[in-house]
Amino acid sequence: MRSHWRDGDRVRSVDLVPQPGGRFRTTVDGVELDLAIERLEDGRMRLSSSGEEVLAEVTTAGARRFVRIGHMDFVLEREAGGRRRAAATGGGALESPMPGMVTKVWVAEGDVVTRGQPLLAIEAMKMEHVIRSPRDGRVKRLAAAAGEMVEGGVTLVELEEAS
Amino acid sequence: MFDKVLIANRGEIACRIACTLRELGVRTVAVCSNVDRGARHTRLADKVCLLGAAEPQASYLNIEALLQAARASGAEAVHPGYGFLAENAEFAAAVEAAGLTFIGPTPEQIRALGDKRTARDIAQKAGVPVVPGATGADRAALRKAAQRLGYPVIVKAALGGGGKGMQVVEDASQLDEALDSTQRLALSGFGDPSLYLEKRLDRPRHVEVQVLGDGRGHAIHLFERECSLQRRHQKVLEECPSPTVTEGLRDRLTDAAVAIARELKYRGAGTVEFLLAGEDFWFLEMNTRLQVEHPVTEIVTGLDLVRLQLEVAASGRLPITQSDIVRRGHAIEVRIYAEDAARGFLPQAGTALRVRWPQGPFVRVDAGIEPGDAVPVHYDPILAKVVAAGGTRDQALARLTTALDQALVHGVMTNLPFLRALVRARPVAAAAADTEWIEREFLASFAAVAGAPAPELALAAAALLEWMGDGAPTGTVFPGPGAARAGSTDAFRAAGRWRLPGLE
Repeated sequence: MRSHWRDGDRVRSVDLVPQPGGRFRTTVDGVELDLAIERLEDGRMRLSSSGEEVLAEVTTAGARRFVRIGHMDFVLEREAGGRRRAAATGGGALESPMPGMVTKVWVAEGDVVTRGQPLLAIEAMKMEHVIRSPRDGRVKRLAAAAGEMVEGGVTLVELEEAS
Repeated sequence: MFDKVLIANRGEIACRIACTLRELGVRTVAVCSNVDRGARHTRLADKVCLLGAAEPQASYLNIEALLQAARASGAEAVHPGYGFLAENAEFAAAVEAAGLTFIGPTPEQIRALGDKRTARDIAQKAGVPVVPGATGADRAALRKAAQRLGYPVIVKAALGGGGKGMQVVEDASQLDEALDSTQRLALSGFGDPSLYLEKRLDRPRHVEVQVLGDGRGHAIHLFERECSLQRRHQKVLEECPSPTVTEGLRDRLTDAAVAIARELKYRGAGTVEFLLAGEDFWFLEMNTRLQVEHPVTEIVTGLDLVRLQLEVAASGRLPITQSDIVRRGHAIEVRIYAEDAARGFLPQAGTALRVRWPQGPFVRVDAGIEPGDAVPVHYDPILAKVVAAGGTRDQALARLTTALDQALVHGVMTNLPFLRALVRARPVAAAAADTEWIEREFLASFAAVAGAPAPELALAAAALLEWMGDGAPTGTVFPGPGAARAGSTDAFRAAGRWRLPGLE
């Protein structure tokens, strides 16, 4: 089974190949690991290799996996079908970085905008975050109005090439 | 002492206040919004009153609903905690008008100290130096004042505080935009668009003094706290005593703080904040509430500040004198927030599915959540505070480092990775950081650690759990001992990079 995981800005792959006799091979990013694993209760497992062992704890929260290895935590996100999402700055859609209230909208649909120009402001926990245009373009769609509460990760503005 | 007290707050501080109330045999009334039903602070209370919808305006900032809850529950007094209405003079006045005791200063004191302009006048009257600054009603006056003070300056909401509603302006070209956005925040966050301008000191340290007054002119101090480790003017790590303050400076700081409390005939617990450069200090503001970082003072003095607040409110007298207060050892606190430190510290929400707070000698945890609790989007993202004590600062820091390594919160992202790196940074060990060091230097070192790929083991563990599904019996060994094959990589060597380095 191959699965893809978002790890920060990277997408990484894990291959698990079941072997005869309940064995399987684990390959991460093409590197084969020499791993034995013992499953414990509640998302915990003991991973051992060459006589060393470590306890791993995995907690599933939607697509996210919170993984504790030793004294460190990592957050990975399952990528559906190995598809890679377009980076926010490369695609046309600007997403809200956090849940909050849209306090100010400086542009309208059809406006030509330049890189760095403030588009709108979101306020959460008494902090104002100004969302600026990542590049030159035109506002194709404006999906938020001042005073509106928005969730994190929803599209606020779609940009297109200014012709 | 009171029979029944309503806690007008949520989260870790409501839980912490409930602890002392229970210890004193005082019945506790918790309040909650719709999304906080069943939250930890409600589980610790004898009675729970629902305030309204999730939005703070409908719940924890809803004065009418809070008074209704106090009346319905038969509470005699209201403890406001910190944040929300803790420094709202109208709330304090409304509580007293309803015949209840407000556990805090008088409405007049809250009003006077909540406005940076009158607060500065009070400090000056008490003979305490203030940071050079200016107030002005119109733009032209503020522009002229900024020129006179010299850039950089800080634009602040006159009624703001605690790092909220302020912005640094590097040169004149940025002033108008900063005035606009701070004014918007001032109006939406504090209900008043008035602004105030302050000279930005170069690499100052932040030291504050805990005071306690009886409301009749007697005031004492519980020493100082060093809070120089800040990010965007929000405190990140606090300690008592300050590792940089000399005995002579400590005397001058505590004298100044007590002079301000006496000048005001201050009632209850308060904190006088100062900016320091070398042996010089300037008054910054006075907070008229219990501070987030109060536990470090409690540990070093052995005094329960919430209990002292209750005793002053109930009796109008200070239960202790200055000579009763002694320092012993050192305590350091960090704040655990639901935020993604690797992505601009964006606030996070979700369910804290798996939570383990550190345990061990000399470690205190003030937590607002337990496993399975929700972390809603609507409120301050603080989840808990971890405090470690030691005979020396080095010992306390080592214990804190160990405690943070033990702490685990899964299900919602937290700043734990950031804090673990921070307590290992050399300038923190050397107590050499100023209030801008985190942003100026540390964030870049942290980004390098946070941006490193997760170890292969972490990916293997995530994929293996998915492959096994929930149905596989525990104890099954996959694939079994002795499965090592020639030519494969030692997974542990490959994973070595997850170990945290000491950071510059």
